[in-house]
Amino acid sequence: MKFKYTITGIDCPNCAAKLASLMEKLDGVASAGINFLAERLTVESELPEAELLPALTAEAKKFSRGIEIEK
Amino acid sequence: MKRLLHIYEREPVRIVLGLSLFVAALVTDGLVGDNAALPIYLLALIASGALVFIDAVRGILRLDFLDEKFLMSIASVGAMIIGERAEGVAVMLFYLVGEYFEHRAVRRSRASIKSLMDIRPDTARVLLDGVEYERDAEEVSVGSIIVIRPGERCPIDAVVIEGRAELDTSALTGESLPRTAEAGSEIQSGTVVLDGVLTARTVRLAEESAAARVLELVENAQEHKSREESFITSFSRVYTPIVTVLALLMAILPSAFGWLRPADAVYRALSFLVVSCPCALVISVPMAFFGGIGGAASTGILYKGGNVFSPISRLKAVVFDKTGTLTEAELRVDGIYPEGISEGELSRLTASLEQGSNHPLASALSRLDPSAPPARDIRELSGRGVTGTVGEDSVGVGNAALMRELGVNIPEGPTDGVLVAKNGVYVGRISLTDNIKSEAGEALTALRALGVTRTVILSGDSEGSVRGVAEALGVNEHHSSLLPEDKYRHLEKIISETDGTVAFVGDGINDSPCLARADVGIAMGEIGSDSAIEAADAVIMTDRLTALVRAVKIARRTLAIAKENIVFAIGIKLLVIVLAAFNLVGMWAAVFADVGVAVLAILNSMRALRAPSN
Repeated sequence: MKFKYTITGIDCPNCAAKLASLMEKLDGVASAGINFLAERLTVESELPEAELLPALTAEAKKFSRGIEIEK
Repeated sequence: MKRLLHIYEREPVRIVLGLSLFVAALVTDGLVGDNAALPIYLLALIASGALVFIDAVRGILRLDFLDEKFLMSIASVGAMIIGERAEGVAVMLFYLVGEYFEHRAVRRSRASIKSLMDIRPDTARVLLDGVEYERDAEEVSVGSIIVIRPGERCPIDAVVIEGRAELDTSALTGESLPRTAEAGSEIQSGTVVLDGVLTARTVRLAEESAAARVLELVENAQEHKSREESFITSFSRVYTPIVTVLALLMAILPSAFGWLRPADAVYRALSFLVVSCPCALVISVPMAFFGGIGGAASTGILYKGGNVFSPISRLKAVVFDKTGTLTEAELRVDGIYPEGISEGELSRLTASLEQGSNHPLASALSRLDPSAPPARDIRELSGRGVTGTVGEDSVGVGNAALMRELGVNIPEGPTDGVLVAKNGVYVGRISLTDNIKSEAGEALTALRALGVTRTVILSGDSEGSVRGVAEALGVNEHHSSLLPEDKYRHLEKIISETDGTVAFVGDGINDSPCLARADVGIAMGEIGSDSAIEAADAVIMTDRLTALVRAVKIARRTLAIAKENIVFAIGIKLLVIVLAAFNLVGMWAAVFADVGVAVLAILNSMRALRAPSN
């Protein structure tokens, strides 16, 4: 399944790419991409959304606390 | 506590807090002495940089720390350690100020693109038993009756059932002339009703309507990276490690050989580290493409990605489909030549077969006899024509290939237009002419001025009509009577012969393979068939060919802006690196070369938002 979220609070495209590659390493996440300018996170995962979103948010917060992910 | 933290997270708060402590430290330093000032300097550094330090430490723990925050932390802490206390705090403050402006600039560009793209109303006035209700557009089912009042945007694609009004379609098509809508016209979502009240029946869901699909295309476009964007990303990947090693060498070698005091060598190495941060570079290029895609969309040109800009800016050959692209989709009947039957019967048979078809010829032909009974067993044969049954007679309407397929003998003479056979016997011919689009000639002249050396028409129509259009417009080559697969073959040949980019421009009907095969596939007309949009690299929402010229100009300008940003960012950085190496500028200049350059590059990118006029 492909999920699309709005992601805000990232500082630069470089950081966005790094966070995306960290998210890709999460269990159950097949691929993750962050578009810095469009503030969009696209994730492919077999996890149900109820598990995926908290996992992504936790990873983002670990990266930098100002980052928010919303549906 | 949590609220305090939230307030502290705001950049201006950190800047003001850090700045006040910094001033206090400077004053103490001057009045009392540096020992007394040290704790205040430290406090100022922590107040301004705490969040930056935390992120930098996190990066180190991830073993992935070559980012801006790490570099700034190292620089400011390093400066403190070698005794340049004021400088250490100043670097952090200056960085925060730069970040603040950078974030503001990014936010503003995002907002201006969002407002350009704000073409989809959230609500619709739904008419139920004579009463209007305001509903969420997303919840309106197909076939609902909606009302659109003057000044409002149509929320959902719909067909007018009552009323008459002028429409402004510019948000969707870039077309500035208003269009008239009356009962029977389809209006697309995103269109503004200028005067009059329209009552219309929705034909799609809001999310499948034109405005939503345009937005979807523009949003997805951000994901197709241009070569320039990928270059910048891979560049920063090899660049950062090199820079770090160089900085280490700069800190160690001069002191090892006794050229500089260790503290001075470290200071220069730190300036070098700060200036070398790749973030400014990495942000400035995608920003230009972001602006270019947004600006183009506001004039009705939708690029599927930043990767289209470079090929379209180097167009060498343009291959056109004829009907609907160079000529109006509607043809005009200019001659009826019956053979053995009356003119009236020929018209009636033809009109019967063409009534249900959406082929470009069909509407002109079916108007020949509006009262003709619809045919049965209609089969459309791609590139050849239509067959069907009218009354007891089996009828074929199409080109010479169809006649051969039906085993019909065609008499000597012209075969342009459509040929008609009844029960296997030739009964006459109807010729049609093209209306060449009014601005087609102008567009072709402009394309040649932009460096296009070869223009080709590939058409399924007969030689006579294709040659006429080619000659009228000064098109170099034309190939007629082509089946879709022939078009594809011709296109492949042209691509192999051309040194440069080949574009295929078509209205999308039957053209998807060519749109996909060309270096740049451009679908023209409304946001019509899915397969065409899927296959194309760019979609032009208006029928005007001059938009093609504008598409090339926008691409060139966007690329120029992106290159300016690259040259400017790398140039300033190199300059400051050299100056810092010889100690001609301090760390302040280094911070400017990082965040200041980013802000300027973002502002420059916003020029890409304003699309050039023709």
